[in-house]
Amino acid sequence: MSEKLHIAQNLEDALLFRKENDCIVMAGSSDLMVSAYQGYGALPKFDKPVLLIRNLEELIGVRRNSDGTVEIGACTTSRQIVESPDTPWVLKQAAGRMGAVALRNSATIGGNIANASPKGDTPGPLYLLDAVVNVMSLDGGRRSIPIRDFIIKFRTIDLKNDEIITSVTIPVSDKDMTYWFYHKIGTRAANAISKLTLCACAKVSWGEVKDFRIAATASGPVTNRSRDVENIAIGLKFDELAAKASEISGAFDKVISPRAMPEFRREATRRMIEFFIDKVSKNSYKKFYN
Amino acid sequence: MTIEFSLNCEHVSIDVDPTKRLLDVLRDDFGLTGVKEGCSEGECGACCVLLNGQLVTSCIIPIAGVHGQDVRTIEWVRTTRLGETIIQSYADGGAVQCGFCIPGMVMASYYLLSNNPNPTKKEIRKGISGNMCRCTGYDLIVESIYLAAKRVGELHKARG
Repeated sequence: MSEKLHIAQNLEDALLFRKENDCIVMAGSSDLMVSAYQGYGALPKFDKPVLLIRNLEELIGVRRNSDGTVEIGACTTSRQIVESPDTPWVLKQAAGRMGAVALRNSATIGGNIANASPKGDTPGPLYLLDAVVNVMSLDGGRRSIPIRDFIIKFRTIDLKNDEIITSVTIPVSDKDMTYWFYHKIGTRAANAISKLTLCACAKVSWGEVKDFRIAATASGPVTNRSRDVENIAIGLKFDELAAKASEISGAFDKVISPRAMPEFRREATRRMIEFFIDKVSKNSYKKFYN
Repeated sequence: MTIEFSLNCEHVSIDVDPTKRLLDVLRDDFGLTGVKEGCSEGECGACCVLLNGQLVTSCIIPIAGVHGQDVRTIEWVRTTRLGETIIQSYADGGAVQCGFCIPGMVMASYYLLSNNPNPTKKEIRKGISGNMCRCTGYDLIVESIYLAAKRVGELHKARG
């Protein structure tokens, strides 16, 4: 083994170390340090060298690109995501409920994606917003992968051994949709790991449903979204939507595959979808969150 | 690996395993025992410090993560006017029982009041939501932080 831990000086240095070493990429360290913990007084245990990128300025920040998309650097913390005026509303809801105050100053969006946990907070909104994960390797190698493809399955991502997640690009902005919904079910207000989270949005224009999206986390091995289900709503007249609520929730029920507490998760998901559709149909809220 | 950083406003340098937790370096190598180890997974807040002015849990940060950065602990916060006021308010408000969570709780209070000098009680509860106390039931802590905010406000008024 070469160095036990390498502090990246800049992105190029990080990519070089990544290319030359089979290593663990560490950003905010809030998950990796916990899994490496060996007990009081003992050093954390890593079975590969660690590449530390948490302080790389190139990977920190939220910015709006000239094409209107929003790009968030991989090492941007949850607090920075919440505080940015460019962050989409639904992602702010998720980032603002991650852990508690101190954790949100460490945890990064790149780490949350790389974990590929079905209970992660940010993947739900990122699936909903058709986010694209940008990765880079040395010598200018770049790939941009839709998040639904990047997270292959439980704890598995499409990242090669010489690549680093550099940012995530979000093409959908708040004004692209008319209605937004975010509801996280946890056991407490802070430090809650999601039992179930539902994000949804709808665009209604000239009395017609132009777009409709639902993403559910903690309801299967990965975040669930289905364009087939969403297409039931898309194209409907606005006043036809309420009558389709049970058909839509029933179709979404076939998409999710909760392992633990499946009855609860299925029932709660169904009720949240029907609640959202009810609120949209009555034009009660433009943005609803718990 | 040699790690250099600013610790409580002093430049320090230490040769240490780079994966060693910031918490352990502060306690073992610098004798700063105000920082406590509780849950060891970043959830209880007993090990809170300020990293570049941001509240973080030092049990989930490798020492390499603070290379070239600014770290401040309860030992520094207690020397500041705001820190003193918070600690005195905790004492006057009866916010302390066993005391184990208190250094972390004061750090969270300091971070809250630095960013929001006039918080509501709900904002106080949110501000310390990552700090666990198994003795008090939190009410007296919340009241004490509220008292500290009032006292700091009065200090500012008196100064004009």
